[in-house]
Amino acid sequence: MKDTLWVFRRTMTTMLRSYKSLLLYLIGPIVGIGLSFLIYGNEQQVAFRVAVVNLDGEQAVAQDVASFLSGVERVKLSELQNAEEAREQVQTGKLDAALVLPSGFSQGMISGEGSAALELVSIDSSMAASYIRTYLDPHLESLTALGRTALETGTEFEEALAKYSSAASPVSAEVVEDRSVQRDMTNRSIGYLVLFMMFSAVNLSAFMIKEKENRTYFRLLTTPISGRTYTLSNVAANLVLLLAQIVAMLVVMKGLFHIDPGVPMWPLAIVLFLFAWVAVALSLVIVAFSRHSMTTLALQNLVIIPTCLLAGCMFPIDAMPESMQGIAKFLPQRWLLDAIDRLQQGTALTELGMHLLTLAAFALAFTLIAAYKFGHNKDTRTFI
Amino acid sequence: MNNVLQLKQLTKTYGDFAAVDQLSLSIKEGEIFGFLGANGAGKSTTIHMIASLIPITKGEIEVLGKNIVKNRRFAKSNIGIVPQEIAIYEDMTAYENVRFFAGLYGLRGALLKSRTEEALAFVGLDDKHRSFPRDFSGGMKRRLNIACAIAHRPKLIIMDEPTVGIDPQSRNYILESVKKLNAMGSTVIYTSHYMEEVEEICTRIAIIDHGKIIAEGTQAQLKSIITDQKTIGIEVRTMEGLNLEKLSGIAGVRSVEANEERREIRVSSDAEVNNLNRILKELLADGMEIRAVEERQPSLETVFLTLTGRSLRDN
Ligand SMILES: Nc1ncnc2c1ncn2[C@@H]1O[C@H](COP(=O)(O)OP(=O)(O)OP(=O)(O)O)[C@@H](O)[C@H]1O
Ligand SMILES: [Mg+2]
Repeated sequence: MKDTLWVFRRTMTTMLRSYKSLLLYLIGPIVGIGLSFLIYGNEQQVAFRVAVVNLDGEQAVAQDVASFLSGVERVKLSELQNAEEAREQVQTGKLDAALVLPSGFSQGMISGEGSAALELVSIDSSMAASYIRTYLDPHLESLTALGRTALETGTEFEEALAKYSSAASPVSAEVVEDRSVQRDMTNRSIGYLVLFMMFSAVNLSAFMIKEKENRTYFRLLTTPISGRTYTLSNVAANLVLLLAQIVAMLVVMKGLFHIDPGVPMWPLAIVLFLFAWVAVALSLVIVAFSRHSMTTLALQNLVIIPTCLLAGCMFPIDAMPESMQGIAKFLPQRWLLDAIDRLQQGTALTELGMHLLTLAAFALAFTLIAAYKFGHNKDTRTFI
Repeated sequence: MNNVLQLKQLTKTYGDFAAVDQLSLSIKEGEIFGFLGANGAGKSTTIHMIASLIPITKGEIEVLGKNIVKNRRFAKSNIGIVPQEIAIYEDMTAYENVRFFAGLYGLRGALLKSRTEEALAFVGLDDKHRSFPRDFSGGMKRRLNIACAIAHRPKLIIMDEPTVGIDPQSRNYILESVKKLNAMGSTVIYTSHYMEEVEEICTRIAIIDHGKIIAEGTQAQLKSIITDQKTIGIEVRTMEGLNLEKLSGIAGVRSVEANEERREIRVSSDAEVNNLNRILKELLADGMEIRAVEERQPSLETVFLTLTGRSLRDN
């Protein structure tokens, strides 16, 4: 134990002394958070410039649609009198979209016939149009349904509308959207963290190969400490580093960027810690299979980057083709990200037994492979 | 005197090849034991087995009377190995290097500090505590390499060619420190390619070839093995006019060396051929002035060459 600590301390000192690796270890994940903050944060701040052209006059329904739109997050609403003018402004890029409510629009809704006559002017495949549609369509459907019900029950439409508007305020939609952005930021940040964790783990395990190349490893073995003790202390240093990464990342994410992961901290930390073990064990396998530190570097890039890509660390997994998503099931990173996903959806940690077990199984399998391989590398020739 | 190290029928094979072949040897407390052997003779392999770095194929090793396989920790803590290839951390200072290795032998606190300082002073690096080995000369690295092996004051210090490729000043420093370590109570095993080093410091020597010991004893004992050869030292006034080739051509002569400094010509020759008159006549014919003629002991180099049939250094 005393020996282990002694070597552990040296590993830590060496690691902390090389500021280049420190950059990778700690600043890396934090840059990752910043990056996802920029990507998703920006998207949230850009407002769509939308104009309403109300050709239907002082009708309550038309007014309701306009006020609904102005309440939607990220929409900057203006009013125009003329449909032609609106089209032109969309063409020239002064507006992102324009909503034309033709005369008779309100009547159509009240009579329960629907909103076919409504026109949404935008440039082809513009984000603004689809964004507005996501909000507007359900609302219009509700209005149509409202009209139908009013007709059937013979109640006053205006009255029903007033009731409906006060109940279903667009404010609730706003909150939901806000959270999902925070979650996206969290997931992306964790994706980057995973990437950095895996890289750091291999880097630290590669210390052992470098020590063989410098021959200090063999010199160590002539002292009372054993090869096993040495490896153990390296693994310990590795785990401590990854835990520090996780803690630093969570603290910075919450404290500095005010990103709410949508998951209680503890379950999140626990799954990440479990993954740390996976990362360290995998790094041991990589080291066990490489004879030189150059091989380690090559294997590191070859193994980590593609698997992280496939598992959805850098981009959302939904962007991937179906077949690739299938392959991802064999990657520990996917299981981690999926576990976090589910935690965000409100699943309790205790119900994620399958995920936790799978991660543990990955870790155990990697550990065993590395141990076996280490046991069969009895090559001391480099010492001569 | 007690045996510090005993090798019994020690063997190491790689496939069919025996790198060390039934090697038996006892080294007593207080000796500086020289291990002589050409490249690939099996010196390092033997040392690696003593250091528990590689498994023993056959035979036994005892350190301070205890079997090293059964008492690995005990054996390791009583040995300090100076590896043939420099093995130090470039990213730690000289002080940290020595301190780290000493700590692996269990030293802590004030004792660790004083021993670390002592070891660095011993190899003449006491003004380099805070320097990094990457800025060191080859000789300084070699000296640090030694310091890392002695801070825990081992009973047995094994040095595997500690003076390869270094400047004469560092070499002298190292030889002196070996003597000092020995005087302070450490037994030393010293392997080298440099005959003069071994001649200068070793109390006993083993010549090893193809994994076997082919001769063992004090320098005088080794030299007396060679009875079929005589060495004649001829002191002259000046070396001017010396014709080595002509001398080598004389019947029975095996080798001729000229030592400018001592103004001595050394002729090794078959013992039974009587050729002294011829040699002297040739020298006189070349106009050389002879001051003295003496029978000399053969050099260790000659002993080695005769026994192994090859020279100690092949470079
Ligand atoms: N792992 C190994 N596998 C196969 N052969 C080996 C191995 N290690 C050493 N040898 C061989 O064993 C022989 C003895 O090597 P060793 O290093 O002990 O020689 P040495 O006396 O130290 O030589 P040098 O003066 O060059 O250091 C050499 O022929 C070497 O090639
Ligand atoms: Mg050697």
